[in-house]
Amino acid sequence: MSFVPGQPVTAVVERIEIQKLSQGPNLVLGFCIGGGIDQDPGQNPFSDDKADKGIYVTRVSPGGPADVAGLKIGDKIMQVNGWDMTVVTHDQARKKLTKKNEHVVRLLVTRKTLEEAVKQSMSRPGPS
Amino acid sequence: MNDSRHLRDSDIQKKIDHEIRMRDGACKLLAACSQRDQALEAAKSLQTCSTRIMAYMSELQRMKEAQVMQNIPRRSSDVGPMDDRLPCKGKVAISDLRIPLMWKDTEYFKNKGELHRCAVFCLLHLGGEIFDTDMVIVDRTLTDICFDNPIIFSDAGPGFQLHVELYSCCFEEDYSTGSTPRKLASKLSSSLGRSAGKKLRAAMETGPGSPVSNGGASPLLLPVPSVQGPKYHLLAHTTLSLSHVQDSFRTHDLTISGNEECSYWLPLYGSMCCRLAAQPNCMTQRMMSGWLKVRQCGGDPQSWSKVFAVLQGTSLFCYHRQEDVETNIEPVFTIGINKETRIRASEKDPHSKAQNICISNQYGGEEVTHTLTTESREDTHRWMEAFWQHFYDMSQWRQCCDDVMKIELPSPRKPAPITPKQGSLYHEMVIESSDDLSSTVSDILAQRMQELELRSQLGTSPTWMSLFEENLPKSGAFTRQYSPRLSGLSPSSPRGRPRSPLSYQRCPQLGLLSSDASLTSDSDSHCSSPCSHRYGWPEPSSNLSLLSSSPSRLRPRTLSLDAKLSTLRGKGYGSTLQCPCQPPPSSLLAPLPMSSRPPRSPRGAQTTLSCSSSTSSNSSSNSEGNHSPESSEGVAFSRPSPVRRSLRNLRARLDPRNWLQSHV
Repeated sequence: MSFVPGQPVTAVVERIEIQKLSQGPNLVLGFCIGGGIDQDPGQNPFSDDKADKGIYVTRVSPGGPADVAGLKIGDKIMQVNGWDMTVVTHDQARKKLTKKNEHVVRLLVTRKTLEEAVKQSMSRPGPS
Repeated sequence: MNDSRHLRDSDIQKKIDHEIRMRDGACKLLAACSQRDQALEAAKSLQTCSTRIMAYMSELQRMKEAQVMQNIPRRSSDVGPMDDRLPCKGKVAISDLRIPLMWKDTEYFKNKGELHRCAVFCLLHLGGEIFDTDMVIVDRTLTDICFDNPIIFSDAGPGFQLHVELYSCCFEEDYSTGSTPRKLASKLSSSLGRSAGKKLRAAMETGPGSPVSNGGASPLLLPVPSVQGPKYHLLAHTTLSLSHVQDSFRTHDLTISGNEECSYWLPLYGSMCCRLAAQPNCMTQRMMSGWLKVRQCGGDPQSWSKVFAVLQGTSLFCYHRQEDVETNIEPVFTIGINKETRIRASEKDPHSKAQNICISNQYGGEEVTHTLTTESREDTHRWMEAFWQHFYDMSQWRQCCDDVMKIELPSPRKPAPITPKQGSLYHEMVIESSDDLSSTVSDILAQRMQELELRSQLGTSPTWMSLFEENLPKSGAFTRQYSPRLSGLSPSSPRGRPRSPLSYQRCPQLGLLSSDASLTSDSDSHCSSPCSHRYGWPEPSSNLSLLSSSPSRLRPRTLSLDAKLSTLRGKGYGSTLQCPCQPPPSSLLAPLPMSSRPPRSPRGAQTTLSCSSSTSSNSSSNSEGNHSPESSEGVAFSRPSPVRRSLRNLRARLDPRNWLQSHV
């Protein structure tokens, strides 16, 4: 999932829709993010390309809304409700996820297994 | 003789004038360049033109000296049996130049940190001809510097000296001086940290800017113009000559000048591979042709065949008819003329009017002799002369005459690959002083202020107030601008209005930045691809849709400006960017007294405090040149705790050594 500056990024993504859970005055999604263009990408334990400054899911609270929706630890978030997440700071990413007037976030996430699944299905002769 | 010399003189003078014009053009282009690539290309042309001018002038000098020498009457003892024979000229081609680099393996494989890039090109100098190769950008991901295009020098003698010089110029982004206006550039250099500023100042050539052109006057005193912009330095050089010519690749040693301290340094392995080929004219052109009668020795003494013979390369081709030469028909027979051939004029044949020429070759142990005879004595003499010249050429050009070396013509130039646009803020920040942005921006901001007043009455925070609360370093530049005005116009603030125009006028460039910030906010209404560097400000709202009517021409600049600001901040230059222009500190200290007053609203306090903290971080970055913006913000004043906490959070968040995780 490394990118070449100046070239469009392509990735196989999965749509995940998370319903925010109200906990008192707060709306909670139930996962943690790490990364951002203002962070040191070398410390990201989930990325393949250690120069990748994207936003990654670092923890998913078991039973929380994100877990229920199918978000997995180590996923890279590409978009949140249409907002790009590949070139944002950490704080901006957090803000896009925690808007008070939004109760649903629709994420596009990518992970290695998705790419591999697509490759496998393409190489195998299909049943059709 | 004198005429031809004068002709050559004027020829060279014309060439010098042409090069001077080219150089002027390159200087102007360099001054006008905004992109780093263009500036480098222009600097390269400048270097080439200067070298050419030097070469032509020294040629002129030499010719003048030769003229003077000739006029001195020569002593008889000096006049020996001078052999007037000159070797033929030829084409020399150098192609597939490859210079290996020797990066430390840690640099090459780990690929950490910023890329140190250099722009390099080669200047090739032979006789009166100077050519430059294309420019190549080299960074540590490259193992070799390759210049593929062949460079062909026509008109080289066998004693040629081909000087190969490698020039390089470092490609650091901070040192670009392309389009930023002088005032801003000097402010930049003074506002960066001490060491960075020193480097920047050293890199910026603050020469007089316009080249001194001296076309008609004494050409020997032409000074080299000093222009702003990237400057190439000689990194390595070598000289190739006839002994290096070979039909295949060879490695040659380079003499490296410069050391690791230089900005233009590249770790060269110390050698250069290339293919140096030469085609002497005797191999490629017809040296002599004419009708001959040939008789093979050992054959019938009367069987003379009349042929049209052509002397070229290593053979004497004999054709039936003259037209056959043009039409590529195979010759009737070929007599080899090479280093082992023996040619002699036989004794006068009483039967014929002219002398015979005997050509003997060794064909696999056997000696085969052909006898030629011509129609007249002059013809014989001319043929013998041609053979002698041919042998002389072959002895001079040595290994080049064994076989014709292939020289490829340079292919039509492909357009240079479009490098992805990388660059810093300073590349694309072309500030046109003719635009009267300040009035537009102040209008816009005045309207915003009114809206803010309404909003504050409603009690909700305008979305861009959060600029001041949390995105501190980003908005540092803007805060300084906004807060005085904010405090000036909002009803909740004690500050009077007069201050805002004052501070505004002091930094018109900053005004541009403020407007850019405000404009960006509403431009992120769509999700674009990452490489457009669109940068979303928090929560665009209808409040800011006001700005959609802003002049659209500001928009593209805005996006890149803002994005670059943030990218640069991410790289750690954040604090230094807060003050791209440095307003006098006095205007910034003014907000400080505000903090001592009881804040009317928590927001107001945050506003003023954020302003003053940016001041202090501003001053801290100026004096210490360090990267983290939050180094000394506790110093000047006392704050209520919520603000302290948010600032501390900020410090943690912005420290690039961390890899923060947030719970959402």
